[in-house]
Amino acid sequence: MHPPAASPGPAAPAGAELLRWQWREVQAPCLVAAWILVASLAKIVFHLSRKVTSVVPESCLLILLGLGLGGIVLAVAKKAEYQLEPNMFFLFLLPPIVLDSGYFMPSRLFFDNIGAILTYAVVGTLWNSFATGTALWGLHRAGLMDPGVEAGLMDFLLFGSLISAVDPVAVLAVFEEVHVNETLFIIVFGESLLNDAVTVVLYKVFNSFVELGPAHIHATDYVKGVASFFLVSLGGTAVGLLFAFLLALITRFTKRVRIIEPLFVFLLAYVAYLAAEMVSLSAILAVTFCGICCKKYVEANISQKSRTTVKYTMKTLASSSETIIFMFLGISAVDTSKWTWDTALVLGTLFFILLFRAVGVVLQTYVLNRFRLIPLDRIDQVVMSYGGLRGAVAFALVILLDREKVKAKDYFVATTIVVVFFTVIVQGLTIKPLVTWLKVKRSDHHKPTLNEELHEHAFDHILAAVEDIVGHHGYHYWRDKWEQFDKKYLSQLLMRKSAYRLRDEIWDVYYKLNIRDAISFVDQGGHVLSAAKLALPSMPSRTSMSESSVTNLLRESGSGACLDLQVIDTVRSRRDKEDAAMHHVLRGSLYKPRRRYKASYSRHFISPDKQERQDKEIFRQNMKRRLETFKSTKHNVCSSKSKARLKEKGRKKKNISLTKEAPNGKTHRNVPWQDAAPVLVMVSSEEEESDSSETEKEDDEGIVFVARATDEVLQGKTTHGSLDVCPSPCIIPPSPTLAEKELPWKGDQADLAVYVSSETTKIVPVDMQKAWNQSISSLESIASPPGIESGSQHRRFACPVLEEQPQSASQAMPEQSSCFQFPSHASKSGRSQSDSSPDGPEQQELQPLMATEEQGRMPPTAEARWMMFNRASHL
Amino acid sequence: MGSAHSVPAEMRELADRTGFTSEQIEHLHRRFKQLSQDQLTIRKENFDSIPDLEFNPIRGKIVHAFFDKRNLRQESDGLAEEINFEDFLTIMSYFRPIEMNMDEEQLDRFRKEKLKFLFHMYDSDHDGKITLQEYRNVVEELLSGNPHLEKESARSIADGAMMEAASICVGQMGPDQVYEGITFEDFLKMWQGIDIETKMHVRFLNVDTIAHCY
Repeated sequence: MHPPAASPGPAAPAGAELLRWQWREVQAPCLVAAWILVASLAKIVFHLSRKVTSVVPESCLLILLGLGLGGIVLAVAKKAEYQLEPNMFFLFLLPPIVLDSGYFMPSRLFFDNIGAILTYAVVGTLWNSFATGTALWGLHRAGLMDPGVEAGLMDFLLFGSLISAVDPVAVLAVFEEVHVNETLFIIVFGESLLNDAVTVVLYKVFNSFVELGPAHIHATDYVKGVASFFLVSLGGTAVGLLFAFLLALITRFTKRVRIIEPLFVFLLAYVAYLAAEMVSLSAILAVTFCGICCKKYVEANISQKSRTTVKYTMKTLASSSETIIFMFLGISAVDTSKWTWDTALVLGTLFFILLFRAVGVVLQTYVLNRFRLIPLDRIDQVVMSYGGLRGAVAFALVILLDREKVKAKDYFVATTIVVVFFTVIVQGLTIKPLVTWLKVKRSDHHKPTLNEELHEHAFDHILAAVEDIVGHHGYHYWRDKWEQFDKKYLSQLLMRKSAYRLRDEIWDVYYKLNIRDAISFVDQGGHVLSAAKLALPSMPSRTSMSESSVTNLLRESGSGACLDLQVIDTVRSRRDKEDAAMHHVLRGSLYKPRRRYKASYSRHFISPDKQERQDKEIFRQNMKRRLETFKSTKHNVCSSKSKARLKEKGRKKKNISLTKEAPNGKTHRNVPWQDAAPVLVMVSSEEEESDSSETEKEDDEGIVFVARATDEVLQGKTTHGSLDVCPSPCIIPPSPTLAEKELPWKGDQADLAVYVSSETTKIVPVDMQKAWNQSISSLESIASPPGIESGSQHRRFACPVLEEQPQSASQAMPEQSSCFQFPSHASKSGRSQSDSSPDGPEQQELQPLMATEEQGRMPPTAEARWMMFNRASHL
Repeated sequence: MGSAHSVPAEMRELADRTGFTSEQIEHLHRRFKQLSQDQLTIRKENFDSIPDLEFNPIRGKIVHAFFDKRNLRQESDGLAEEINFEDFLTIMSYFRPIEMNMDEEQLDRFRKEKLKFLFHMYDSDHDGKITLQEYRNVVEELLSGNPHLEKESARSIADGAMMEAASICVGQMGPDQVYEGITFEDFLKMWQGIDIETKMHVRFLNVDTIAHCY
């Protein structure tokens, strides 16, 4: 073989080439990829040191990195390359960031503060632009500036308009790390998003004025300027709303093409941006409102997986855009050919923007506080003034200026670069200490509790009602009206029927809290089994829950409490989850999830049927088993499976019920019979949970644990329960299988659910520990509701298989239903007993406890979220 | 109260007691007369005439609260048949926004009062405890706006909330401990960290915002 590359060249196309150097073809995308890679790698490096990133905002580091890289490029290429091009910025880099912030905007908070936000965005920006522009002009007239700065009033106003707008990217980047309280954050951030309209309009108007030349401006042009402001901002918003509507409508029908659901979200939002840009409306407003408004419906329509995809993709895009923006800002600053320095202009601008921002904030807050019910105090005002960061938008706008028309462009570029660097680096660095020093109310990242949600919901209604009664049509009144309208028409139109039916905020929170609890248990390793934890599993988990998972969930819930728009928290420890999952799988699970069963590949479908199939199989197995039990032990007491799915059905949650049996343990020798107090633990599945932990969850959907209490001997008849709803059956437990004797773990599989013996009051089986370990850990890892602790309380008489049992039982004792009791003896006893061997005496000790427990029991709800311990009680 | 109302002294007294400005009182009084159809007192039926209230899922509870003697700062317990303007103002004063010049102590009292009002709304049998049953009722009512959510889910939500309350308020429970219901102290505990004073308020504004009669 000849070395192919060198000789042929372009002149000899005849011979087949083995390799060809095609740099030209791939140059552009390759460079883009390379830059993104560099920026991302830099991010990794920054975060290697926690110390640095906790002090220095990432945006600063990126800018500095950009400066460094720019210097290298300049040194190597002898000319500045790879700069932040306005076109690239506005068409590709900005939209993801704005979409991300709009989509994940805590909308409730946003609209609660919309008045203040609008004021600051519109009045504040106008004030800043005019004040800064005129003041600089004054400075110029006073002869303090370099004579090279050829600029009139209009030029300065133009410059003022582009330099005065607070930049969403910069604000976001810095404020996210600061964690100020949510009101403050939403005001600063909302302002930075919405002031875009003002900036763009002012910029365009002044630009056209400058181009016309001051002589040719007529009075009508001013009027046009004002009119175009309304047109641009309202038009942009309208475009956003229109696309939000379209998007929501489209996602309603994507049921069969789940795989491209996320695509629609991005596409339509982007098209909204482009459409607005095309007709020179405010594109930022369009995307922002598209994001804010579509979210509710889109999230309800698309599948959980798509939701996650949307979230992560959006975060990834936004984060990389931001990274690139800041880095390129640094790189662009190196290009000295583009800017000319003038000390007076630079210092003057810096001084004026700080001053006027502060003055503007104070004045506006003064006015606003007369209307606001929660006034913004002095500290808030300081942070707001200081938080007015300028960023890439200003830079891109100044680059866009036409040098022919705006003669002082080079000066303006230099000033803008300095201002951006100053605000991002100096203010960004100091704002954190400032916030700490001023003791600004931080956002308490507390998890939303169910109670809170309930109360807030109640609040909304109460306040609306009071407004009705007072006859004052205020904010609550209109919100109430809007919600009614939304419920009646919009949601009907834009949401899938299945989604709409279950759409309820309280329910959502409840649902999410359950998952959160579940996750927190997994986080803790899934095997927390102390008596304490069992007694109140949700309590310790709440307190010790790791931050990451809290924020993670908050984020998923889109709750207003989490304001970090960019942060996606790391997923909880995967190993733990796997451990837990394996735990279930290995320990006596009846069903082995066949993860790799389906080997087929489909580009269009993510084998959604796998789960269903498993569901079915498990269901079938269960049914069969239960039937067998019923047959073989005619008067046997069977654990009943409560019909737990009621509302989950619609949600398409798949409940798989597994009947897991407690291992029978070492009792096989001397204890030929196993008496069972069936402990039925029914956990409803959480689709989200299973979704979020991709693979290992299939088998965890919903499990019925039946732990059997053992006893030495069983004798015939028992009556169960005291207030019998059901006939007291007598039990003749089948003898354990051989396998069971020898291989206690294996035996369970073949075994049937329930044996109830006369002696069942001694609840605790020999091997309860294992049973408990198993059931609790798996339970907890799945869907432990806040209320798991009551599990031991939901004790019922065992009765023959009755699907409707829960209801009947609860009807039987309505009075007791209103009190709670959280005894932990079941668990404690379980442990203590299991530690020792299955001895009668020990079990006897427990008897008194059992008696008392009967008092406090609570009827199990038909909900599957509760553990139900079906335990035969001794009469 | 009608004619007496015009006497400035009485007005001032009312203003002192409820914290409203005399202007606000006047407007509220106008509204009161509207609702009561120029009677001196309002009865429950009068609230039926407010059309917007109809869609409120917890409307019953709210109207009830107006007649709850505990909220009326009266010694006695139980339900009032009718309330006069002063009572009306008293109830309304629970919804006043905080004022800038309040000190810590006042703020705390203010907060407690608001919470008390809320608590009374939940505690329908006046035993000082929100029992599970009471909580369930509230949740059911809250969710009654959504016809697709079954009672069962409301119930389980209430159960979950109660459980959460228990874990917040009592912490680790002894084995035989029974959590009977949320007492007011527990209620306060649950609300720690939530600025109710920034949430539970209505703007009582002036002339033009007072709605037109129905």
